[in-house]
Amino acid sequence: MTALGLNLLLAVLWIAFSGSATFVNFLFGFLVSALAIGLIREQAEGVSYLRRVRFILSLTILFFKELALSAWKVATLVLRRDMDLKPGIFAFPLTVDRDFEITLLANLITLTPGTLSVDVSEDRRTLYVHAIDCSDPEGTKRDIAEGFERKIMEAFR
Amino acid sequence: MADLFNFLFLLVIAVLIVAGSLFSLVAAIGLNRLPDVFTRMHAASKAGTVGSGLLLLAAGVHAGELSILFRALAGFLFFILTAPISAHLLARAAHEVGYRLNEKTVINELRRDRPLE
Amino acid sequence: MMAATLFNFAVWLGLAILSVAFLMTVYRVVKGPTLADRVVALDMLVGIVIGFIAIIAAKTGFTLYIDIAIALGLVGFLATVAFARFILSRQTADEEGGKSNGERAAKRTHATARKVR
Repeated sequence: MTALGLNLLLAVLWIAFSGSATFVNFLFGFLVSALAIGLIREQAEGVSYLRRVRFILSLTILFFKELALSAWKVATLVLRRDMDLKPGIFAFPLTVDRDFEITLLANLITLTPGTLSVDVSEDRRTLYVHAIDCSDPEGTKRDIAEGFERKIMEAFR
Repeated sequence: MADLFNFLFLLVIAVLIVAGSLFSLVAAIGLNRLPDVFTRMHAASKAGTVGSGLLLLAAGVHAGELSILFRALAGFLFFILTAPISAHLLARAAHEVGYRLNEKTVINELRRDRPLE
Repeated sequence: MMAATLFNFAVWLGLAILSVAFLMTVYRVVKGPTLADRVVALDMLVGIVIGFIAIIAAKTGFTLYIDIAIALGLVGFLATVAFARFILSRQTADEEGGKSNGERAAKRTHATARKVR
């Protein structure tokens, strides 16, 4: 069931990408995505699909909100006459531990206001984040932990 | 009625175009005003991505066809996915080989945990 | 009628703003001062060019330009990744004209030669 849902989703995406909404093209997309799912069978199975989709959707909405906010924040920062910067790199203790989740979190952090992920420690426990305003690293860490990290846990656990 | 609709349609596109190019301009200003490579990366990866994404979206909306709009959206998504990866790779490389952070930097816990030598 | 004027105005305004952004970014590419700065600026340059292409797609109505923009985004991403690898493999933050920290870099190159990465 879940694999089927994923398959349909990928087929629809295929139509969006290739830009022709004919039945034959849909069939072809379905076939290609079935092949792709077959390649990553282990990861695709064992997912309660619809619940996931809801959480992923809420994560997406949060993300776009933060993206708009961050672009705006950079804009106001850059256009201020006196740039009172306090940049710094702080260590963020990771709760998520799977590669995929760390990647997602790092990407989300980069596109949110004033933060940019720089590196992950070898033991995958710490994410090093460059912040453009590092006057309150504890507060920023708390924001990330309670915002994106919690949402990611909800969506993929 | 159709006239009004057309007007609103073009208005939305016009707003998207102007907003997108303004974000690109802000990113360019940030690139010139910010003090070191890491802070410059902030400007390029956020405002720059949003800028080109909005412009692409404007082109997609202007085509007035769902499949093309989807393609533009897919492109936007693609930029959103790749921009942080390239920023992250660059920041990591720059930090690893020892590019200095600006002297205003308040803390550097990465250098603390992984000193140069 | 008025809508078309508005749209044309937005297009020209967008192109003008993007040109300014483009020139500012080129200034950063030329000025540097470090390689990483230049790479960030070049990455940004690709973003601005994508914006140009998107505006021209809206202006002319050739939707094929959107695909070109996406392809350019992919190329730009790969170029930035390659540059990041290059910075890493160079193992020095020394720049001509920049603050010299040659001794430190030499020591580091020696140290990292042992470390496999």
